[in-house]
Amino acid sequence: MLKINKYSFIKNAAVLSLASLSLSLLSTSSSFSDGHIYGENNPVTVKGYKGSKTDSTAYTGQIARQLQHNSLKKIVSNGNPNDPSSNTLNKMMNYFENKDKTKTMAILDPKSSSKFPVKQKIVGEISTGSNLAGKADKRPQLSWPNNMSGSDVIRFMIKKASKISGGVDTRNGMNYPQLISKYTMGAVLYHQACDNYLDEKMTASNKPNNKPYKKGAAYTGKEHSWDEAFGYWGAAAHTMTLSAKQSYDVAKKKDLKAADFNKDGVVDLYKEMTYGHAYYASAFDKGGKTNYLKTVTKAFIDGRKIITAADGNKLSSSDLTKVQDLAQEICSNWAQVISEAVHKYAGSVYKDLIAVEKALSSGSGMEKAMSKYLKHWGELKGFAMALQSGVENKSDTFNRLNRMMGFGPLMPNLSQVVGIDSSGNYLKDQGSSIGYYKLHMIKIQKLMAKEYALKSRSNDVTGGMASLIETLGTKKSAEND
Amino acid sequence: MDFEVLNFIPDNFINPQKRIFLGYLLSGFLIAFLWLYCFRKYTLINSLKLIFDKKVYFSKSSFVDYSLYVFNSLIMIIFSPILLSQIVIATFIFEFMYAQNIIEPISINYLSIFLPIIFTICFFIVDDFSKFLVHMLMHKIKFFWCFHKIHHSAEVLTPMTVFRTHPIEGVIFVLRNAISQGAVIGIFYFISSGELSLVTVLGANLFSFIFHLLGSNLRHSHISISYGKIVEKFLISPAQHQIHHSVEKKHHDKNFGVTFAIWDYFFNTLVYSQSNQKIKYGLSDKENFSRNNIFKIYLFPIIECCTLIFNSIFKSFKIIYTYSLNLKPHKLNKNNKVIQNENS
Ligand SMILES: [Zn+2]
Ligand SMILES: [Zn+2]
Repeated sequence: MLKINKYSFIKNAAVLSLASLSLSLLSTSSSFSDGHIYGENNPVTVKGYKGSKTDSTAYTGQIARQLQHNSLKKIVSNGNPNDPSSNTLNKMMNYFENKDKTKTMAILDPKSSSKFPVKQKIVGEISTGSNLAGKADKRPQLSWPNNMSGSDVIRFMIKKASKISGGVDTRNGMNYPQLISKYTMGAVLYHQACDNYLDEKMTASNKPNNKPYKKGAAYTGKEHSWDEAFGYWGAAAHTMTLSAKQSYDVAKKKDLKAADFNKDGVVDLYKEMTYGHAYYASAFDKGGKTNYLKTVTKAFIDGRKIITAADGNKLSSSDLTKVQDLAQEICSNWAQVISEAVHKYAGSVYKDLIAVEKALSSGSGMEKAMSKYLKHWGELKGFAMALQSGVENKSDTFNRLNRMMGFGPLMPNLSQVVGIDSSGNYLKDQGSSIGYYKLHMIKIQKLMAKEYALKSRSNDVTGGMASLIETLGTKKSAEND
Repeated sequence: MDFEVLNFIPDNFINPQKRIFLGYLLSGFLIAFLWLYCFRKYTLINSLKLIFDKKVYFSKSSFVDYSLYVFNSLIMIIFSPILLSQIVIATFIFEFMYAQNIIEPISINYLSIFLPIIFTICFFIVDDFSKFLVHMLMHKIKFFWCFHKIHHSAEVLTPMTVFRTHPIEGVIFVLRNAISQGAVIGIFYFISSGELSLVTVLGANLFSFIFHLLGSNLRHSHISISYGKIVEKFLISPAQHQIHHSVEKKHHDKNFGVTFAIWDYFFNTLVYSQSNQKIKYGLSDKENFSRNNIFKIYLFPIIECCTLIFNSIFKSFKIIYTYSLNLKPHKLNKNNKVIQNENS
């Protein structure tokens, strides 16, 4: 009897503590969602709004572009040299140039699976009025030959890619899937957010808060400009409730639980997915040295709160300053994320060049070494080009960056792309030595680390020395011999 | 109260990268025992009695060593973050090697298989030479000797005597390591394009491991192991370092080396050990120095060094002053000067 009582006591205690635990969990999760979810508690504030909407949050066009970018990346490697009807090219161009007015543009990534079921299958389910080409950087790009505009650079690359199987030009060293994807992230997503919505449209006169963004819209000029920039950032609305690792795994389609915030069993690609830049921010942050993802996402949430609180009136000058400061914080952190990527891939390229040298002297393993090298170089170049799509004009830094990496990778025969002729063929010249090119990679890392005050600094070439010194174990001690 | 800061005390004994790692101490005692028992024909009891002589380990001099070990480590914890580290020098050299654009990194070839062992050997040799050189300077430069004589004030030697070091001397050693080790690492890191590793045993440099395992701790002990004249031309024996600690004048400024004797050989400072040598350790009587007061040990060298610096500045001013006094009449006499110039 006594025994049973004792057990029931333990059982009761267990139930009680479980209940209190879940209660406390509930309360923390509700406190999490309170003001931590982007787009929450954003009523319509536009004066004289006639429509039926009750929520002023809208960044569907931006998520549609995230999905167009994801899908384009998937098919760039489907290039076909024997394609007289240009089928492949048209498919690629479809994702770059067309809006999904007819709701037929399939989302190629993420595709629904039992492990990671997604809510939308067609781009048009999210937005029917968006394309990538119309939003690409229109300025001449110094990071690419012939001063082409951003959209022309991407078109040029897509055309080249469509005619090469696998999308990789091994003769000139161009890995188009990487180049196109990384550069599009910069020329469209980063460029629109930081050189347009958070820049021009955050001035007092442009897109004021006491007027709808456009006639009849449920959101003000400032509300919508801010939302659009958030959409380009690519973070899930509930990012503040996730760890960097979770946010990263969501992008990788590996963590349904973390993605499915509203617990309806499917991932809403509009609100519950991690894309592009936010994915890279998560990747660096999960290393533990940085906090880009949360810093930027929180600044977006805070800024939107200030704008919402203005309640459809013009922003006071102090509020406008606060919002502009947050925009500044967002874009400087964003630039850091991109330059961290440049830093990382410069380190990868350095290591790949060693492998290429090894293959040259041993006469074997060249194909494998080159494939890695060109992939990483594509990422390096793509991100370096992306970095130059923002509002900051660091022309000296950019010139050095472009000069050190060149228009193409240094090939094992020491040739390197130096330009493009009038019929669109690459022009090549004799480049420097592999050793010298490796030095450039180190210098690129130094340049990025210095100009952008980087903290993550993955693949730091000279960092290997630090770990070597660690193994020496010579701590600083006062010791005679 | 958080005692984590005191972790270095046990750490030093369980880390094979450290000289007083228990394994090295044990091997030292074993070698000492074999030396006494097999070569010097001591009885088992007498050998052990001599090795574990409590007069040695519980002497005043030894207690000073133990206390300095604790206090110095604490002081170095505070100072080490601001001191130059190997990485700064290594990075500088590495980038300089790339920028000079004359020597290319070796493209990976057959040599690269041996690179870790070549690196490990070079590292050890350069490290040893830098220790010899700085040690010699510690003796020859009077500003440095004020600090280094702390180490020589030990009247009893135990493995813990290595910690009988003034913190300022410790700082000098840190800079020495930064420069010599940083340079070797930077050069080899460049040559190998970053694919560099050190040959280690239990995480310690292979050669340091061998050096310590073969009884490096006996250098500071009362067990006088000599290697014989031929070997002592190449390697410093424990007995040779004990000569370095001798009060006798003829032994002063001899045997600066740590592992290799060749440096002393080239600099004419090598002295071979005698079998059965009986050496009195410590400073000569003319160095009036308080040996067993920790407070004075820390403070006196600083005062002495400052006095020396002040004196030499004063002296040089005096020289300049008297020189200018002598010059004055010449300077005033313009004609004289012109004539001088014309003459020359
Ligand atoms: Zn000594
Ligand atoms: Zn000495």
